[in-house]
Amino acid sequence: MAVEVESIIAQAKTRSSLKRQKISQTFGFILVWFCGLIAVAAVFWIIGYVLSQGLRVIDLEFLTTRPAGGVSGEGGMSTTIVTTLYLVILTIAIATPLGVGAAIYLVEYARDASRESKVVAFLVRAAQMGVEILAGVPSIIFGLFGFALFVLYLKFGFSLLSASLSGAALVLPTIIRTSEEALLTVPRAYREGSLSLGATKWYTIFNVVLPNAMPGIVTGIVLSVGRIIAETAIFWVTLGGSYHLPKTVMNSGRSMALHVYMLASETRAFDKAMGTASILIIIIILLNLSINILSRRLTARMNGKK
Amino acid sequence: MGTLHIRNSQKPPYVKIITKSLAIILIAAAIAGLAFSVYSFLSPLIVKLDANQSQTWIANGAGGLLAAVFFGWVARGIWNYKHWAKTILVIGLIIFILTYFVMIIFAISSSIFAGEAVVPFGSILRVVGVGLFYFLQIAIIPAGLIFALIKIDPYYDESTRQREFVENAIRYVLLGTALSCIIIVLLIFLFTMTEAWQSVEAIGLDTMLLGTVWRPGSIIGTDTAQFGLLPMILGTILSTLGAVVIGVPLSLGTAILLAEVAPRAVRETVRPVVELLAGIPSVVYGLFGMVVLAPLIRNFDVPRNTGFGLLNASIVLAIMIIPTVTNIAEDAIRAVPREYKDGSLALGGTHWQTIVKVILPAARSGILAAVILGIGRALGETMAMIMVIGNSIAIPRPLTDNPLTLFLNTARTLTGNIAVEINYAAGAHRSALFFTGVLLFVMIMVVNSTARFFMRSKKES
Repeated sequence: MAVEVESIIAQAKTRSSLKRQKISQTFGFILVWFCGLIAVAAVFWIIGYVLSQGLRVIDLEFLTTRPAGGVSGEGGMSTTIVTTLYLVILTIAIATPLGVGAAIYLVEYARDASRESKVVAFLVRAAQMGVEILAGVPSIIFGLFGFALFVLYLKFGFSLLSASLSGAALVLPTIIRTSEEALLTVPRAYREGSLSLGATKWYTIFNVVLPNAMPGIVTGIVLSVGRIIAETAIFWVTLGGSYHLPKTVMNSGRSMALHVYMLASETRAFDKAMGTASILIIIIILLNLSINILSRRLTARMNGKK
Repeated sequence: MGTLHIRNSQKPPYVKIITKSLAIILIAAAIAGLAFSVYSFLSPLIVKLDANQSQTWIANGAGGLLAAVFFGWVARGIWNYKHWAKTILVIGLIIFILTYFVMIIFAISSSIFAGEAVVPFGSILRVVGVGLFYFLQIAIIPAGLIFALIKIDPYYDESTRQREFVENAIRYVLLGTALSCIIIVLLIFLFTMTEAWQSVEAIGLDTMLLGTVWRPGSIIGTDTAQFGLLPMILGTILSTLGAVVIGVPLSLGTAILLAEVAPRAVRETVRPVVELLAGIPSVVYGLFGMVVLAPLIRNFDVPRNTGFGLLNASIVLAIMIIPTVTNIAEDAIRAVPREYKDGSLALGGTHWQTIVKVILPAARSGILAAVILGIGRALGETMAMIMVIGNSIAIPRPLTDNPLTLFLNTARTLTGNIAVEINYAAGAHRSALFFTGVLLFVMIMVVNSTARFFMRSKKES
């Protein structure tokens, strides 16, 4: 009798605790879904608001006239589009050879070379540490650095050159990391096959490894393009902010992101700022889409080969 | 290299013609350089030069001589079918084409976009067309040469010694590029430290770190400038704290959702959307904070509430750190071995119990690293902050008796301090701003190396 009662109580207890567990699980899942919902809602709120306000302003005249300057905030954004394009091209032209070269060395040469000599081993460790540190440096520090070294010390002044050199320092770790990953995905057998046919190491890297790593490297470059387009702090302290079109690399200019900042903080032309911001957002969305497509193609190819 | 010798004797006539004529053109260029050099060196004897010309003749002469030696050297290599000479020539031609291309682009865009009026579509097309025509006109010869040189590549000699030299040279160049990052880090240290040193020496480290008054220059009334960074340090810490309080729970929830709860289709759509947040320019966040959040916050009925301030900054920062924290935390949750989860489920634990009691503790260090990296991102944010935080230089205090109204007050971050004032600062003021940068750099380094420590301990366990 007593045993029976006890077992009944125990059953009831487990049942109620099971129920409690169920309820807490449902509650937990609702909480988690809610968090996700808020994150997604934040994205759509920001993008939706900026696009709905900004797209009204955009027409051919807005895109092809230059800003009027001053505190009025009148005019279009033509020169900022071209300046952004210049900045992207210059920065990528500086950062890509350095970054891809560094990635090639760290993946293909570093291990053998550091086994051969202690000095090289030390340098390789220093190089890897440099990439790690640089990846965490906030952009305003790059701006300060560019301001001190390029603008003041080397007397480049506020110019495209100062800005793109500082910008290259910002995207260098991104390019190195993505290129390293891309190089690591190329199977060892490819390298061995090429080397065993008598090709030199560099010939193998240039003609066998690099073409296979290309989609990954391009992903890194596209990522960097996005970061340059979005970057403001560096260019605020190295590019100057002239609304004229730079005629040479030694001229000051104004990128699109900088234009948004200057319109919002120095004028009351929030509508024009929204217009420029919506162009920025559209570009960023397109870049993100292309990265997704690239990486999907990359994984598809990897799976296909296996 | 026996095969190469056989090839040497079997060169078809077109290879010989191209090679010899190229070499002759290069020799002509070398002779021209030599003549220019001789003329420059002799010019002081022939004509009387004025003061500023007297310096240039040496440079001109030396330049001409160098060019002559270089062209002669490459010409000799080409004449003898040397592979290295061909490579140098191709690289030179490519650089020439690229430089010319950049010049054309500059010319085209400055004639289209520089004006204030709308340029008619027809004339844009005409300018682009003419520009491209000029480009093709100039570029066609070097491009053809490159093509020809690549075609006749197999007939050029490549000795073992040269091949080894090239391999080694490439290795050292690549080592140089690999060192670029650490060199930049050292340069950042060098330049910010040397610029900051002046203020540290003049004002003193403790006065700068603990001083409560930031008053650059004598504009405000007193004649002495004061550079106390405590208000900005507090502003940075408070805004980051606010961002962590709002952003981290959201991000962790999203990470759990993406890693464990959501079906595949939801995961595949939500993740790119959240990643999009990382790409949005910070000025867009700032603009959003100014135009949307500030009026909303102004609804709180508190005196001197402007809508701009710590709360606005915290919300903006919280949204900005969501992608960083979510991404890394999700990876950490995914990295938990499947056996842990299976074991817990097999013991009768519910999915939620498994998540809370098994998976999250196992992913602890990775999640901590994610949060710390998020803090690092928040500390370094600049433009969005100066747009929404109000940039006041006083220590933030509560607006009323309620201590929570502290977050409605305006403040200034360390990053904002630099960005707002650097463009016109000079002397001790500029140096103090560089010291702000050094301080920020040190803070970020500490935060990031803590995160790395946790990442590493995750890998080891």
